Amino acid sequence: MALKRKIAYIDLTNRTVKTASIPIELRKKFLGGRGLDMYLLYNHMEPGADALGPGNVALVSAGLLVGTLASASARIHLAGKSPLTGFIGSANCGGFFAPEMRLAGFDHLVIKGKADKPVYLWIHNGDIEIRDAGHLWGHNAQDSQTLIREELGDDDIQSLTIGVAGENLVRFSCVMTSMKNAAGRTGIGAIWGSKNLKAVAARGTMDIGIAHPEEALDYNKEIITQVTSAKVSKTMQKLGTMFIWGTTNTTGLVRVRNFQSNQIPHADDIEPESIEEEMIGTAGCFGCQVHCRGRYFIKGGPYSGTYAEGPEYTSLGAFGAEVGCTSKQTVLVGNHLVNSYGMDTLETGSMIAWAMELFEKGILTEKDTNGLDLSFGNNDAVIEAVNQIAHREGIGDILAEGPLRAAEKIGQNSIQYLIHVKGMSNLHSDERPTPALSLNIATASRGADHLRSRPAIDLYHLPEKVLRKIFGNPVPYDGPLTSDFRDYEGKPWEVIWQEMCYGAVDCLGICKYHTVFLGPNMPNFDEWSKLIYLNTGLELSPKDIWDSAERCYTLEKLFNLREGQTRDMDWLPDRYFDEPTDKGLPVVRGRSIDREKFTKMIDEYYKLHEWDKKGIPKKAKLESLGLNNEPSHQL
Amino acid sequence: MSESTKKNTDKKTVKGRTSGQFRCLYCFKRITAPPGAKSTTCPHCGYAWRISWFSPGEPRIRGPVWENNEAMTRKIMAESKGGSK
Amino acid sequence: MSKILVIDHEKCTGCRLCELVCSVKHERVSNPYRARIKIVKWEMAGKIIPVVCQQCEDAPCMGVCPVNALSRNAETGAVEIDYDVCIGCRMCMNACPFGAMGYDWVNSHVIKCDLCGGDPQCARFCETGAIQYVEKATLGALKQRKGAAALAEVMTKVSTAYSEAG
Repeated sequence: MALKRKIAYIDLTNRTVKTASIPIELRKKFLGGRGLDMYLLYNHMEPGADALGPGNVALVSAGLLVGTLASASARIHLAGKSPLTGFIGSANCGGFFAPEMRLAGFDHLVIKGKADKPVYLWIHNGDIEIRDAGHLWGHNAQDSQTLIREELGDDDIQSLTIGVAGENLVRFSCVMTSMKNAAGRTGIGAIWGSKNLKAVAARGTMDIGIAHPEEALDYNKEIITQVTSAKVSKTMQKLGTMFIWGTTNTTGLVRVRNFQSNQIPHADDIEPESIEEEMIGTAGCFGCQVHCRGRYFIKGGPYSGTYAEGPEYTSLGAFGAEVGCTSKQTVLVGNHLVNSYGMDTLETGSMIAWAMELFEKGILTEKDTNGLDLSFGNNDAVIEAVNQIAHREGIGDILAEGPLRAAEKIGQNSIQYLIHVKGMSNLHSDERPTPALSLNIATASRGADHLRSRPAIDLYHLPEKVLRKIFGNPVPYDGPLTSDFRDYEGKPWEVIWQEMCYGAVDCLGICKYHTVFLGPNMPNFDEWSKLIYLNTGLELSPKDIWDSAERCYTLEKLFNLREGQTRDMDWLPDRYFDEPTDKGLPVVRGRSIDREKFTKMIDEYYKLHEWDKKGIPKKAKLESLGLNNEPSHQL
Repeated sequence: MSESTKKNTDKKTVKGRTSGQFRCLYCFKRITAPPGAKSTTCPHCGYAWRISWFSPGEPRIRGPVWENNEAMTRKIMAESKGGSK
Repeated sequence: MSKILVIDHEKCTGCRLCELVCSVKHERVSNPYRARIKIVKWEMAGKIIPVVCQQCEDAPCMGVCPVNALSRNAETGAVEIDYDVCIGCRMCMNACPFGAMGYDWVNSHVIKCDLCGGDPQCARFCETGAIQYVEKATLGALKQRKGAAALAEVMTKVSTAYSEAG
């Protein structure tokens, strides 16, 4: 059975490893992946712990369907208290590590304490060993994986690693696997760095039982046909997530020069089709037929001949529009560097763009930057800033602290130019014309975030009938829903529905590009219910899955409240309200968010969640979800 | 699993999809571009788009024809204030 | 009438779904390491090569088997193992020039592709067409078309360059 996997508790201070079975009741309640990670975080971290101290925990969890015949179920979820925000630290990535850890016998790792010198974990067929990582320290994320394979003499080992950014406690460093798969956001890499944990390596050959093999094979084929016949998938098979940037720049929904415009005209060189010319092909994560990862060699310059993978949507913003650059070489090199250093491309680009606007406004000068000319559009300066952040040199040392700490250090009115929520920078998109997406970033548990909830199909002008079908399942909803993305009414429910959709797949270990994110006909709660049954034998209804996702989201909220979150943090930067968009199609031009309507939207959002006016889940809600006794210490 | 789930999945697959067409990003009506065309103007609203083909039969909008888009948008905004909400 | 697996490594995205479905089909469990196909990667160099039995006409595995445990299935053309005869000496593994003869440690015997009895799951699930199950009679045409397509591209470039040069 896929469910026979174990949990391991690893104490790095005392160098002990304990394992335990996972009660089936907890599986049914939280599924796995992000769901059980949130349970473990709420149960194992002492309230108020220092995110970079030994009291924080580093969690690693495979989704419930990882390694089974559920298409694109390759996600590994990582968690802890975020060194960036002080709230939920949570990120997941694809690649091949998650199935390998399951094949090695484990679904969940709870890593505590701090090693006295660099170590890595070696997981192999039911055993976990804490090994010396002195020889890996200082190496980039990919070389570290190769060195582990060489040291242990097995090319099939899959590893999660941190690069030098994680070692240097850059507060937005990632944990990486393969060439470019990054558990990118909230600074999990810095948690690992603070624990002297360089890597977790896995190799296993233990069978993952499939409850109904023949039916599961046939159903997987059905799902693959469903997914790959969508136009969005066909586009992604060629252009990856870059295509989203192309479409949103065409409309006028991207961040330009930090947050000074919403469209960058005549940027032909960084259009997805132009970058695609450099690609030698695409790569897929375990079992996925969408294969959205580009593969390329850098041509020219100091990194010429280097093999790299990506870039994605976010890097087109980070090293393109947002820093005022329109050179694909900068995007391709920048993407390669953040992946080697193990650093969140989004936060890196945002910090540089912010510094550039401060430079433009005279808040930062060449005196502060040691002569680095941080003018928008300076390609060399962008690459140099990436290097400085990863190594914490010069101005990079301040930017590596993330938005709020950096603003405090720089002072003056620098904080006004930050495009962040709860201390985490926003995606390189502009939500001023789209109240639904604005609400999503303002309320997301991680901070400004497009992966807790992104009702992107709100932009598709779908007829109300179609919207009712999507947003009315598996929980009935008869409130307002409209096809106009400029509306405020009905959107709070879309945000909540999408929270549960993403929560569900994050618990199952399935990729969000196999959901109603960018395609209304993608697999949904009904399909997941069937996948769970055929692969694991567990009978969970679509509503049961929704409930698990809601438990997960509610625990995140409880964690954030415990760590001091207040209602005023569910809010947007002033520029969303005060500076209307200046470019794009008529429908997005001259738009800004209305404070009063937005406040009402948040009220409605809390009400639908059954949270009180302060955003605290009501007692009855906790009871109905079975969360009234947390922390319950069952694991 | 239930029959209804199965039917649901069938409905969501390739049958009945439109190919060779794309939707105008301004008026959202379907446009057919001549095979291999690098740009085309929407016959319904007049917005001009640069086209790319991710497969021989499947076009998508690569980007605006910038001058056309800016002129069109300014005209529309002047006439109707952008249909502000 | 006889079909064969054709591998185009340039189309392989390295997702390993073929390994997964192969193990489920043959062993009823998910375990890519017990599959009859293997995607060999040099990950950090971007090289991906699928390795699977070629069902050689003059198969070295059949030739080297001391007990004649390997024989060709007349219907599918697959070289198959008769486990009642096999003595487990693994000479076939040594002889195979592709490394396509695998070893299953659970049952302590060699394993190889049997074309799933005529419905190979790897080809069924490979959406990119990196693994295809094609009629032997069309194999040549397939390769010719691929070669011709590359040539056609060059010709187009040349003629475009000429016309642009006026």
